[in-house]
Order: sequence, then C-alpha cells, then structure tokens
Amino acid sequence: MRALVVYAHPREESFNAAVRDVVLERLHAAGAEVRLMDLYKEDFCACLSSKELECYENTEANCAPVADSTDAVMWCDTLIFVYPTWWYGLPAILKGWLDRVLLPGVAFLMPDNESPNIRPGMTHIKRLAVFTTCGASWWLTQMVGAPGKRTLLRGVRFICAKQCKTTFAAHYLMDSSTPRSRKAHLAKVGARMERFIGADVVRPAPKAVEA
Amino acid sequence: MARALVLFAHPCSESFSAALYEKVTTSLSSSGWDVDNCDLNAEGFWPVLSEAERHGYHQEPTNIGSVVEYVERLQAADALVMVFPVWNFGYPAILKGFLDRVFLPGVSFKLVDGKVKPNLTHIKRLAAVTTYGGTRMRAMLVGDPPRKCVTRAVWHVCRPMKMRYLALYDMNRASAARREVFVRKVGQEMEAF
Repeated sequence: MRALVVYAHPREESFNAAVRDVVLERLHAAGAEVRLMDLYKEDFCACLSSKELECYENTEANCAPVADSTDAVMWCDTLIFVYPTWWYGLPAILKGWLDRVLLPGVAFLMPDNESPNIRPGMTHIKRLAVFTTCGASWWLTQMVGAPGKRTLLRGVRFICAKQCKTTFAAHYLMDSSTPRSRKAHLAKVGARMERFIGADVVRPAPKAVEA
Repeated sequence: MARALVLFAHPCSESFSAALYEKVTTSLSSSGWDVDNCDLNAEGFWPVLSEAERHGYHQEPTNIGSVVEYVERLQAADALVMVFPVWNFGYPAILKGFLDRVFLPGVSFKLVDGKVKPNLTHIKRLAAVTTYGGTRMRAMLVGDPPRKCVTRAVWHVCRPMKMRYLALYDMNRASAARREVFVRKVGQEMEAF
C-alpha cells in the first residue's frame, strides 16, 4: 500500500496533529509506504495563479509548479486528508492544494474528441479517507450540507477508482471538546483506519479437527 | 448611498469570470450603488490563516488585527456579491481564505453560549455569480458544496432580505450565445438588486 497523507493545520499542538499521528501510526503498523504532505510546514502556496491557468490544460507543463504533489498523487493508491473544518469547508491552504494539484492529465481528463464529459484520472486511487474536526454540531453541519466533506468524498471521490473505498470521521463541537471526547475520537479514528486499510483482524487459531 | 462589496476571485483578467465581474460592478454602479471593487488576486489577498491568527482567533477584538482593512470594508457593506469560478466543487482557495481570515468571531458572527449568532445583518442583499465546469446534474450529485456555502453558511450570518445564486454550469462546453445570455441575466439581476 502506498499512502499519501495530506495534512493542514497551522498549530503543531492541535488536536488534528494527534489525529494525523494516529493515522500515520496505523499506516506504518500495516507496513504501508507513506508520504506526508504537511501543507503549513511546507508553506504551500494556496493560490492558483494566472500563469498556471495559462498552461492549465497543457498536461506536459501544468504539473511543473507543484511537481512534488502531483508525483505523490500519481504514486499513491491511498489518499488521506486530515484537516480542521473551517466555515463548513476545507482550510484555504487545502482547497488551494486541490485547485493547483488536481490538474487535467493528473486528476481528470478534460472533454475531448473521445468523450464529451470530464472523466476520472485518479483511477489508481483505491482508498480515500477524510478525518476532520468541526466547530459546529453534527446537526448544523448536516443542515448546511457538509460542503467540505462533500467536496472530498463526492467531488474527489468521483475522479478516483470506481470501487474506491472511503471512510470518514469527524469530531463535532470541537470548541467544547473534553479530554474524554478527544480520546474517544482518537480511538474511533484508529478503528476506522484499521477497517479502511484492511489490517488483519486477529482471529483465534482454528481448533484442530479430531478425526 | 448604499454600498456593495464585490469580491472577485479569478486570477485572469481575460477570463469569463472577469467579464462577469465587470458586468456586476457596472450594473450595480449604474443602478445607484456605491461599489467597492475587491479583486482578491489583484489586491494580493493572502488566504492562509496563520498559526498566530489561529491562536488568537477567538480573542475579540484583537483577532481582526491583520485583516482590519477587509473587516472595515465588509462592515461598511449593505450588499455582498461574490464573483468566482467553481474549482473542484468549491470556492477558489483565495475566496475560501477570505472566509477563514475575515469572517471572524465578532465580525461575521458572535458566539453566544456556544451558538453562532449572525453579525452581518447589515448585509441586506447577498449574491453569488459563478461558473461550473461540470453540469448541473453532476454538481447536484456531489451535493453542490459552493451553492451550500453561499446560500446556507454565508446566508446564516447575514440573514439577507434578498439572495441570488446565479450559476452557469457546464462552462467548458457553453456556446458563446449561452454565455451571452448568462451575462445579460447577471446584468438584469444586478440592476434589480
């Protein structure tokens, strides 16, 4: 398994960092090859520029400004996002990563003579996971329509493999979280990860059948 | 004179979005609005909420320190119009960052007993003018996140009397005639705003 973890939080001591660490720990335990993109630490530039848009559809040139990221996207078979939900959506730095990295020729194919539709380009990605924290409650998030979750688990999911497996966990009402709720959430993230990466479930050895 | 803040989030001046921005600002001006043009890319707006800003996020009123100019422009507005392309079923990062950094506690909302209370109620009119690469059907299947961001999340803190979400779908295949019709419709809506 080759996993790309895209992480976006400005504070190293944040709860999201703890979530990220649980994710990484499970991946390592499962023997996965892992690449981590820490967007804040890398000072990732969030703005798709007019210069980039000029060569946006030129699939030979468009990757150049973000080659590390596009290489990682093409390399991985498992894509995991860890971020705080701000304004019901992705932090700008993560949205900017989607804008600049999920390019034609990398993430999707533009309409052409072969097909009049936009087609998936990340069909090598078989697993997609989203782990986030929300200031809002579950109810309010649903009422708004969970735009951030949908951008990833539907928008990005749409351009991954047809049978792509997904998982999601969010800690809601983050501002009134307690040590207990945070601990419970980390355990939940661990459990979701186990199922998601299909870690071997420890089963008791079968009893010998007597003749 | 009533004031309209127009946020524009496309980096190219020759884009169709730029034509829409032009149409929006001229139509508003000609119908008597005092228009505050805010081209986020041209103004070099920085969309990434920093570690220090995150740390002081809930500390009113010092949290507006680094974006005070944008906060003042937002607070002076009676109408808010957002002109942007939809990328990856969301706002361009530069516009998302405007929400992250400028729509702060004490500015766009007040937290009362952990609940969000709208604080931009001076914005009586809210509109989005946008373009999608995907079709309407595809946007609906995805859950149309940008539409929900505007008509629910931003709506929630403004509670406007009037709201318009004007979208041109399937942009890559839109004929010149369809685009022209859309530009005209945007002009009419803004004149009647």
